[in-house]
Amino acid sequence: MAMIEVTSVVTGSVWKIEASIGQRLEPGESIMILESMKMEIPVIVEDGGTLRELRVAEGVAVTEGQVVAVIEE
Amino acid sequence: MSSVDPANDPSAAPEPSGWQPELEELRLRHEQSVALGGAEAVARHHAQGRLTIRERIGGLVDEGSFQEVGRLTEQGRYEHGKLSGVTPAPYVMGLAAVAGRPVAVGGEDFTIRGGTSWSGDRKKGGQGGFVEDLAHQYRIPLVNLIDGAGGSVTSIQKRGHSVFPGVHGFEQSVRLMGEVPVVCAVLGTAAGGPAGRAILSHWSVMVKGTSQVFAAGPPVVERSLGQKITKEELGGAAIAVDLAGTIDQVVDTEQECFALIRRYLGYMPQNVWELPPMERNGDPVDRCEDGLRDIVPRNRRRPYDMRRIVRWIADRDSVMELQPGFGKAVITSLARMNGRVVGIVANNPMVYGGAIDVKGARKQTHFVELCDCFHIPIIFLVDVPGFMVGRDAEAAATLREGMRSVYVSLQATVPMYTVVIRKCYGMAGMGATDKNGLDLKIAWPSAEWGSLPIEGGVAAAFRKEIAAAPDPKAREAEIEAKLRASASPFATAEAFGVEEIIDPRETRPYLCRFIDAAQSRLATTVGPKPKYGVRP
Repeated sequence: MAMIEVTSVVTGSVWKIEASIGQRLEPGESIMILESMKMEIPVIVEDGGTLRELRVAEGVAVTEGQVVAVIEE
Repeated sequence: MSSVDPANDPSAAPEPSGWQPELEELRLRHEQSVALGGAEAVARHHAQGRLTIRERIGGLVDEGSFQEVGRLTEQGRYEHGKLSGVTPAPYVMGLAAVAGRPVAVGGEDFTIRGGTSWSGDRKKGGQGGFVEDLAHQYRIPLVNLIDGAGGSVTSIQKRGHSVFPGVHGFEQSVRLMGEVPVVCAVLGTAAGGPAGRAILSHWSVMVKGTSQVFAAGPPVVERSLGQKITKEELGGAAIAVDLAGTIDQVVDTEQECFALIRRYLGYMPQNVWELPPMERNGDPVDRCEDGLRDIVPRNRRRPYDMRRIVRWIADRDSVMELQPGFGKAVITSLARMNGRVVGIVANNPMVYGGAIDVKGARKQTHFVELCDCFHIPIIFLVDVPGFMVGRDAEAAATLREGMRSVYVSLQATVPMYTVVIRKCYGMAGMGATDKNGLDLKIAWPSAEWGSLPIEGGVAAAFRKEIAAAPDPKAREAEIEAKLRASASPFATAEAFGVEEIIDPRETRPYLCRFIDAAQSRLATTVGPKPKYGVRP
């Protein structure tokens, strides 16, 4: 099974983590919500998969392109 | 006397007059030119997963439509004054058709000396040459299928002198940018002149893994900077398309590349003196998608899928997004409305809330210029909080690049339609309006606008009052709520400051009506667009 690194499309901060390790996510579901430019930007699992790793915690800053989570397809 | 004089009989063949040897030589020369660099070189090229230039042209153009020019351009080898063999010039070009319309097409033949430039009395193509003259003189699109590394230092040896830059220059390539659609596909490693040629296009495409593009390749980089780097790391699609936007699009295979070029040309007129082709697909003008009513969340902090709005409004299956992987805060698409070609510039609230960054601004600048040049009306689907803010944004010259996009919009004279979906703020909002034309601005009930968003503005404008309050946070929220009430789009509509507020479902019929009506104006203002002034 392929491990896929999920990256942030924006620079901002982690507002809320919505999924937990081991959780099965359907395509389009979000792992977490980032805050950037006063907007809530969901980090979406495009093809679905199981959440294996969270690389960030709520409240921390993230930069564009940073790996925030790892999912197993 | 019933016999007919043979000289007057149209069915009688003339007496043989002895041209057979020349015709045989012509046949032999054609046969050898079709063989390119020979079976072995072609097999090596195929083994790398790449097609030959003849296969490429065949895959791109209408079947059987390629009329080659310059089949005899070659180096002949002679024994005792008689032709023994030829090495064709490493460039194949001519006239062809795409969807029944003529195009000029050409490309390097990598199987002969790696497609390096070749000089006869007249160039076939590459930089200038017959193929570019054909596009210019006949006012037809040009497709360059690029696979070459440009000049070689060995030419110094051959000529006995080094060539001044621009002897085979870009002047015709530059002229074409204001006259006919120019498409460049990078189908191998393009360095130097051919790489530069790829950029002088309205739209460019490359193939993942088998094509790279750079000013200079790994050996030059290593000698100049001591950097050891592979050609894929230096100029593969990850750098050239996604990071730098040097090339507009990436595809997985050469076949996909040809299909995409055909699709792109389908939106383009033959030249700036004509309008793009109309193509109705039966999608009703009055199709009102219910989803449009609910797509914008009431919570202003929640983004939504702007691409769905684009697809719902435009003719079914008519949307071709350009540069999808670059400058993602702005979505630029060619599409059709009731069969007429339009350009759609849409802000993407998923990326920085739609704030314009340097890359998004660059993408918008190019797209607006493209549409203006080819008389393609522009629809702005606006949800823009402004230019991107922050130290990184300032260091990247967001303000300059952003104002350049505003400048280009305000210089454009093609009809534009502003549809405010949600936010329309500041200088970036100004760049989404048709100040030189009708300036028709329609808004959805979810729209809001101003010189800057209320949130940021309140903290600055009421700084003292907020600081002096017993609960500053509560006071700030109170002022924000009060101001927001007066910022209702209906109040601006009362003052005719925005021309219309519509049910989002009506967006398609409303726009189609005005785009249809603009056709007379478009048809009477064709021709090259004069450029004046200095871009900021």
